Amino acid sequence: MKVLKTGKLEQVIDRLAQQADVYVPMLRGQQSGFYSWKTYNEDFDDLMFDILNVYQSPKHLILPQTEKMYSFRQEGQEVSIEEVAADIEPKVIMGIRSCDVRGIEYLDEVFLTKGYVDEFYKARRDKITIIANACYNPGKNCFCDSMGVSPTDPEAADVIMREVNGGYVWDVKTEKGEAITKQIEDLLEEQDVELFSLKPFLRKVEYDGVAEKLKDMFEHPMWEKYSEPCQTCGICTYLCPTCYCFDIQVKAWGDEGYRFRCWDSCMYHEYTQMAGGHNPREAAKERFRNRFLHKLQFFPERYGRPLCTGCGRCIVACPTGVSIIKIIDEVKEAETGA
Amino acid sequence: MHNCSCENPLVPGIVEVVKIIDETPDIKNFYVRSENGVPFNVMPGQLAMVSLVPVGEGMFSVSWQEENDHLEFAIKRTGLMTDELHKIEVGQKLGVRGPYGNGFPVEECKGKNMLFIAGGIGLAPLRSFIKYCFKHREDYGKITILYGSRSAADLCFKDELFEKWPQEKDTEVYVTIDNPEEGWDGHVGFVPAYLEELNPSPEGTIAVICGPPIMIKFALQSLEKMGYNDEQVITTLEMRMKCGIGKCGRCNIGSEYICLDGPVFNLAQLKQLPPEW
Amino acid sequence: MNYTKEIREIATRLLESGQVDMVMAWEKGDQEYQTIPFVARTVDEVNRIVCDEYAVHNLANHLLRFRDGKEKIAIVAKGCDSRGIVRLLEDNQIKRDRLYVIGVACTGVKDPLQAMKANSGFERKKDQDEGLASKCLYCIQPNPVIYDELVGEELPLPELQGRFARIEEIENMSVDERYKFFEDILSTCIRCYACRQHCVACNCRTCIFDETRPQWVGRENNISDNMMYHLVRASHMAGRCIECGECERVCPVNIPLMLINRKLIKDINGFFGPYEAGMEYVEGNKPPLSVYRENDPDDFL
Repeated sequence: MKVLKTGKLEQVIDRLAQQADVYVPMLRGQQSGFYSWKTYNEDFDDLMFDILNVYQSPKHLILPQTEKMYSFRQEGQEVSIEEVAADIEPKVIMGIRSCDVRGIEYLDEVFLTKGYVDEFYKARRDKITIIANACYNPGKNCFCDSMGVSPTDPEAADVIMREVNGGYVWDVKTEKGEAITKQIEDLLEEQDVELFSLKPFLRKVEYDGVAEKLKDMFEHPMWEKYSEPCQTCGICTYLCPTCYCFDIQVKAWGDEGYRFRCWDSCMYHEYTQMAGGHNPREAAKERFRNRFLHKLQFFPERYGRPLCTGCGRCIVACPTGVSIIKIIDEVKEAETGA
Repeated sequence: MHNCSCENPLVPGIVEVVKIIDETPDIKNFYVRSENGVPFNVMPGQLAMVSLVPVGEGMFSVSWQEENDHLEFAIKRTGLMTDELHKIEVGQKLGVRGPYGNGFPVEECKGKNMLFIAGGIGLAPLRSFIKYCFKHREDYGKITILYGSRSAADLCFKDELFEKWPQEKDTEVYVTIDNPEEGWDGHVGFVPAYLEELNPSPEGTIAVICGPPIMIKFALQSLEKMGYNDEQVITTLEMRMKCGIGKCGRCNIGSEYICLDGPVFNLAQLKQLPPEW
Repeated sequence: MNYTKEIREIATRLLESGQVDMVMAWEKGDQEYQTIPFVARTVDEVNRIVCDEYAVHNLANHLLRFRDGKEKIAIVAKGCDSRGIVRLLEDNQIKRDRLYVIGVACTGVKDPLQAMKANSGFERKKDQDEGLASKCLYCIQPNPVIYDELVGEELPLPELQGRFARIEEIENMSVDERYKFFEDILSTCIRCYACRQHCVACNCRTCIFDETRPQWVGRENNISDNMMYHLVRASHMAGRCIECGECERVCPVNIPLMLINRKLIKDINGFFGPYEAGMEYVEGNKPPLSVYRENDPDDFL
């Protein structure tokens, strides 16, 4: 097996960074997320390959929080439009966990399938290589295996790093992975090592049958009950590796400007507010319900799998303790009329 | 499925406003064309994203495509973008992208009697289907149009309503306004009540309905009372939309996206969806 | 601090007698350190109520959901929460006679969110004990300032040291240093609006940041729009922030928002003081920036 010794990890990143912008998990000040190796400062930043995960998933690398789409200029009645060149510098996302890789798989389905290809997304996605970090040690709020994610074998990874004593097994999965491995082959060592086995999950949910059951639960009192503490902020949607909703807005000064898209959240009142005044999801409960139904029923109906990877971030970061696990449990236990 | 005129479905092409008709005090009909005619071909009931580029974008139903000459958008002033749009003059360049959505089932309706029920600006999307039926007159049976608005001044497409459409073969046009007013000798009353009064037979008929939510709600009840089944009733929905291509998330009702799977649904399909329309 | 037993007794009495329609308190979540807001509407639900050392949330903010209703609401309020209730009363968001305030003398609370995070595996293990929530370190009023019934013994007011020490440090920075400081802390904002949503003083029906005609602040996530957001919000907090610390507590990217609020508290106190927001409810009273007086200071204009 090819093994990357822990002592050579930074050398490998350095080498990869010669050909691409490499993003790795770091603790930076009070933040944790994926930051460019170009910005790494060993006095302030702490590499986080060895902890469970970081608070901010790397979804912003593929779906930036704000993205310019095209610029325009108006002169009199004339208008000209110029597409803003997409940011297509090759990127490597290194050290990403299975749950977040699955998040990217779902983004791929949304932005690349069902009739339309989102060209901005595609340009960026094509240039991204994923080096995952297999998980053998689930955390206290992890339930990825319950949502059909294998913590040790992320599907869309180009390379999987598998932690072993003293380093990582370098497990190449795709052609993109082969290509990137060529750059660092001399830093890997051939060695026989024993892989860790996956530790048991502390949290489990039974998702089987939930999407089907939810069809009859739109008016169920559970939505009232669980939405009551929710203050409809956007923390859960913005930390979620799968939430992808966006808004399109304009920035103009005088007769020129640009149109951009930016993340949006279904928890916000304005999200479905129509110009004429009507809002189909006026109440907090209605927005809360739509968020969970989208994840657990609507997305599965459209794309076949639930829009949740079991990463646990929304559970950890919700200021009022809303838990998707509890909601799934409640659906599972609910008696429905059907 | 992706039949957008431009390579990137989120970037609009440029069209010129070649004519503006004041339909009512707050509705204008904008005729737009690109250099070579229409920017793209549209089926009745499909949508397009229109942008007054420095101000904003809005999703509108295309109220008619005239051959390869121009597209028409009848637009009511309701918000920031439409306020500004109502200030432009002929010659203004706009952005437009599309077409989006499924459109009306023009093929499935062949051989049927058509009952169109509209209120206010709700006539704009139906007009594309009405005019399509007249253009292919032999494909459709009897055509009944029932249209209402708050006042006589708020009726749009008056020329067609009162002059052209009633002249068409086997066609009846009924117009009503909410309250009596001086100079109006036509029908007065709400659309659903007038509908029940007229009581058009459900036999071999498809009802197509669009208007304010309250009108739709009561007209649906009337149709049910009159014996129309859920497959015979078609409507076109409105939700807030941003991308038009089923990506941005907000226009969902259940697992359906209005921009992609809609905006046209029959009542049987709607009843499968959560009641958020 | 654990008043669970007392609160349950009061809740039972109030609900049984029909004196209130609901009791706003807390219940336990999945973890021993997780306490979450809970509304009991029936006597059967009372045994879910807790009021323990993790009862950190300012429930006054949860009253906003009921502002248009007629329900009579009992609400458990710590010192800071009770100042939040005064905020809502002064802002005419709810009527006093709809409320039955169960005041609790608060010895300080821990933050379940910090405990969740510390135990999530998303952080390196820290050796020290979690201790009190950071908002409690600068608490000036542990006792409820408005209540219908008090639980616990009134506590002596803490002698605060260094409440404004960090503010003074920042004031003494050069303009460039200070700009850099704010740029650093605000560039990390993800614009989730959690600070606004969890703030009892943010009770406008349509927030300026949601206004689209005109749109005052852009939705782009960049330093200028982020600064605009935070500075506009801060100025709306001037003289109105009741220091419950919820904004800073809930921030998923740890922006030290109370620094900004505390600077404004210090300034308002200096210009118009002595003034501390929401310390007593006198019908008709308004915060300093909501009233005009001929002798108002204007040197800073």
